[in-house]
Amino acid sequence: MKLNRLAISEEGFIFDPETGNSYTVNETGLLILKKLREGLGPEEIAEAMSEEYEVSPEEALRDVQDFLETIARFGLWEEKAWLK
Amino acid sequence: MVKVAVSGINAVDNPGPGLGIIKGLREGKTPVSVVGLAYDAMEPGIYLTDLIERAYLLPYPSEGEAPFLNRLLYIKEREGLEVVIPALDAELPLFIDLEPRLSAYGLKTFLPTQKQFKLRAKDHLPIVAEAIGIKTPNTLAVTSYEEFTRALSQLKFPVMVKGLFYKALRAYTQAEAQQHFQAIVAEWGYPVIVQEVVEGEEMNVVGVGDGEGGHFGLLAIKKLWITSLGKIWTGVTVTHPGLLTAAENFVRHFRWRGAFELETIVSGDEIYLIEINPRFPAWIYFAVGVGINLPERLLKAALGEEPERDWDYPAGKLYIRFTDDRVTDLEVFQHMVTRGER
Repeated sequence: MKLNRLAISEEGFIFDPETGNSYTVNETGLLILKKLREGLGPEEIAEAMSEEYEVSPEEALRDVQDFLETIARFGLWEEKAWLK
Repeated sequence: MVKVAVSGINAVDNPGPGLGIIKGLREGKTPVSVVGLAYDAMEPGIYLTDLIERAYLLPYPSEGEAPFLNRLLYIKEREGLEVVIPALDAELPLFIDLEPRLSAYGLKTFLPTQKQFKLRAKDHLPIVAEAIGIKTPNTLAVTSYEEFTRALSQLKFPVMVKGLFYKALRAYTQAEAQQHFQAIVAEWGYPVIVQEVVEGEEMNVVGVGDGEGGHFGLLAIKKLWITSLGKIWTGVTVTHPGLLTAAENFVRHFRWRGAFELETIVSGDEIYLIEINPRFPAWIYFAVGVGINLPERLLKAALGEEPERDWDYPAGKLYIRFTDDRVTDLEVFQHMVTRGER
């Protein structure tokens, strides 16, 4: 999975060693990336987020899906990667 | 102390590779004394006495073989020159032709063969790309205006209109393409290359082939910031496995000898070959800076020594070019103009 090759700093700076592209993410984005790398799916990540940030699981899931769409556009995430 | 001459010391807005090569040589373990070879008395390297001990003007290669060879032999005699590292496209065919004679006079080089040099012609790129397992953008070579208009109807816009060796102009419309076509024919003649533009990441690989299918190190980079002339100003090292494999295929398949740079566009899993340069690029110091001193390795190869071959480097090393100023006496310029040397 492409996510595994990324260098992710605690400050939210992301570097892709294959393409040379870099990105920045906020605290929430960083949390989502870390959870994705741990192998969690969107629902599980939304659950973790709703515990962390006091948002409803539904709202958190929408945010996760938005984020996934964004990183998919950058070629860092493929939806089928975790649709089992 | 090895006396080595390096050309391409024109560190201007379209910089030659000379100063990067020289910085690499100076940072290497082999002690060197550097002679700069210039074609114009204004080339900045001439004035950088901390990098270049002595500087000489060369006649333009277009003036022919004899004056060029005589000048090189004169410099060799004056300086006790042992090695020459030419770095400019326009002089390379001459150096390659002269190699046996230079070698007979004790002047060493480490250059591609004439046949390898010809691979860089843009109409050869599809053959090279296929041989090393990558692609080229849809490309047509045309030798008349009629062929050109036919080519345009077969390709998708935007297209690049290119000379066989130099110059590449982007066109978004038929009218723009025709304008570029006229400009390139006027400057470079036929064939003119028309090529579809591929969108993706511009990545380049530099290396030195050993002439037997192996190499003395590779480095892949991505340009992050370029000048209006398309020259790198900031870059980053990348470790794209497909690209590095293609570069290894390139040296193995063509038994490439000497320095080279492959310019590519990487789009997802596809790699498109855009250009082959049979020399070091102007950003060669990037390789030195990440611990792969390709100029020094090439020098060793020219001297008949066995260079290092390790080339582990981290992704994410940053390259920054910057401008600088120097003040000196008019005397140096005067010597270059009147004597052709300093």
